[in-house]
Amino acid sequence: MRIAYPALALLLLTAGMMHAQDYLSCQLASGWTQSEAIHPYTADNLYDYKDGGAEGYLIYGFAGMKSLNCKSGENTLTIDLSEMNDADAAYGLFASNRDPRAPIAKIGMGGQVQALSSTFAKGKYYVEIVLNPADPNSDHTTELTALVNKMAQRMVGRETPPEALAWFVTEDQSTMGVVPQSVLGLKELKHGYVAKYKQGQAFLVLEDTPESAAAVLKVLRQKYDGAADAKVGDDAFQAKAPYLDGICIFRKGRTLGGYANLPTAQEAATQAVKLAARIP
Amino acid sequence: MKGKTSRRNFLSTGLMLPVVSAGSSLGILNLSAQTPASPAGSPLKLSYKTLGKTGLKVTSVGMGCMITSDPSVVTRAADLGITYFDTARGYQRGNNERMVGAALGSKRKQVVLSTKTEARDKAGMAKELDTSLSELKTDFVDVWYLHGKSSPSEIHDDMIEALQLAKQQGKARFVGISTHSGQAELIPWMVQKGVFDVVLSGFNFTMESTGVEQAIDAASKAGMGVVAMKVMAGGARSQKPGQTLQSALKWVTNHPSVATAIPSMTDMSQLDENVQAMGSTLTAEDHRVLAAHLEMIQSEYCRMCGKCDGTCAQGLPVADVLRYVTYADGYGQFALGRERYLQMASQHVTARCGDCAECTVQCPHGVQVRMRMKQAQELFA
Repeated sequence: MRIAYPALALLLLTAGMMHAQDYLSCQLASGWTQSEAIHPYTADNLYDYKDGGAEGYLIYGFAGMKSLNCKSGENTLTIDLSEMNDADAAYGLFASNRDPRAPIAKIGMGGQVQALSSTFAKGKYYVEIVLNPADPNSDHTTELTALVNKMAQRMVGRETPPEALAWFVTEDQSTMGVVPQSVLGLKELKHGYVAKYKQGQAFLVLEDTPESAAAVLKVLRQKYDGAADAKVGDDAFQAKAPYLDGICIFRKGRTLGGYANLPTAQEAATQAVKLAARIP
Repeated sequence: MKGKTSRRNFLSTGLMLPVVSAGSSLGILNLSAQTPASPAGSPLKLSYKTLGKTGLKVTSVGMGCMITSDPSVVTRAADLGITYFDTARGYQRGNNERMVGAALGSKRKQVVLSTKTEARDKAGMAKELDTSLSELKTDFVDVWYLHGKSSPSEIHDDMIEALQLAKQQGKARFVGISTHSGQAELIPWMVQKGVFDVVLSGFNFTMESTGVEQAIDAASKAGMGVVAMKVMAGGARSQKPGQTLQSALKWVTNHPSVATAIPSMTDMSQLDENVQAMGSTLTAEDHRVLAAHLEMIQSEYCRMCGKCDGTCAQGLPVADVLRYVTYADGYGQFALGRERYLQMASQHVTARCGDCAECTVQCPHGVQVRMRMKQAQELFA
């Protein structure tokens, strides 16, 4: 084991020293060469590049971006590597941009590869790749799959989605993701996770303490006329709410959760019981 | 704003502005009667303006949907009477259009709906528009923009042909360009070109008396509809929003050349606040808030107006250097600031402002250029 320690230490040191630009290389894709210097962007000047789309990054907690342009014959390829504040933010950005009609591939925390583009998140990094081919009808899925897999292997960071997403009931689920601000459109639910279903949506918000979660629940309960107690978790209410239809919101420890947009409050409460049971 | 009373004077004196453009009108909506979750009993004044020669009636506050995640906020905005909704093909890689389309539902034809394309050729634009219509669940959009342009050189003839074709086919009623920078050059070009109905521009209280405001005034005068976005100055993003945001919103919605402003909204509370700001005049308190905010940011906040270009005796790219030093002390990105600084031409990297007896650069907005340049040289060189 002694022999392994220096190697391990070197590996850890190397991993710790890795920077975003170290993950970028056109040569990860066979036959591609770099065509320009890497362009760096911060929250201040992301508008220069993602003009009109910058806020979509900033709201998730954006630290910086490196953009690399490659070419192969007449084809061009752009790799945008965004460094986010943490892995949840990176996954959140990936989930908000994913095509809900296409499957998620096991690339880092999750990825998607299509004919001319790919996205994935690993650790605190979110990667977008766009290929502009000379023939717009060409399919580069295989090439892009190889590229993103090589890239993900070089990258250090978490490979599993946020833990809370695993608590959602999976049956009839269509999408799930991270909401950076105002879950269900309610400012009281500052940041959390949402899963959408064939009917309705479920949410989870992790407060710092049970007390702060209780305080938020109290405010929400007062918000809705006719809110009635529900037997879910440590404390809960159900109501018929404007724009959210049948809702049930509960607290279990420091976690707030619930269902919304179901036909009745009772149906929301029934689903909420299942969700609460899955929270450790 | 030539020929008009300067709002900067009002900022300093705290006087109230004369309000809203000709053709604007007010409507009253009792919020509480229609929306049980809204603030108690306050009747809302909805104010309407005409979007240039399009003739479209829009509320002076519209809704930027880019970062809205829950459709209930969009639905409620439509129920409250907001009539302008903005999205783009590129927002969340199309997911935003899908959300907006679902949220508007049967209200679609009661509102003005805009989207944008980033495609750069005729075929690509046509394909994106068809996808947008499908995702938005509509046969047409009211305004279709070229997304995020900053120079006429980015706009090719075939892109204009695609816009015109979309109008002929009835897929877009009106067309325009969205822009965050370069407005002083781009917007006059749009006016001269005569084929654009609407401009969606970053515009806020820090831009008074700049080339941006002059361009927007000229566009409005020529009959182009003006939609304002980024109503808070970028440098104010990290400051406490609250009243500053509301005052900044009122500044824009009271601007005679602006038909509607489209602040981003993520929740019901923001929506209520923004709707309640509609139709309000700028108060003395608003003027004080904005003046204080401007005072706070003006010595460091570069508006990128370009008026300092070519005025440095040593030929330094002043706006660029100001940006680099902001990376370091405004955003904690020292390495990036230094990297960009050192990428300048060698004579610029080695130049020192201390070598000049006096500075030839005069920022019309009060940025202390010499001090900031010296800070950059001390930090990076």
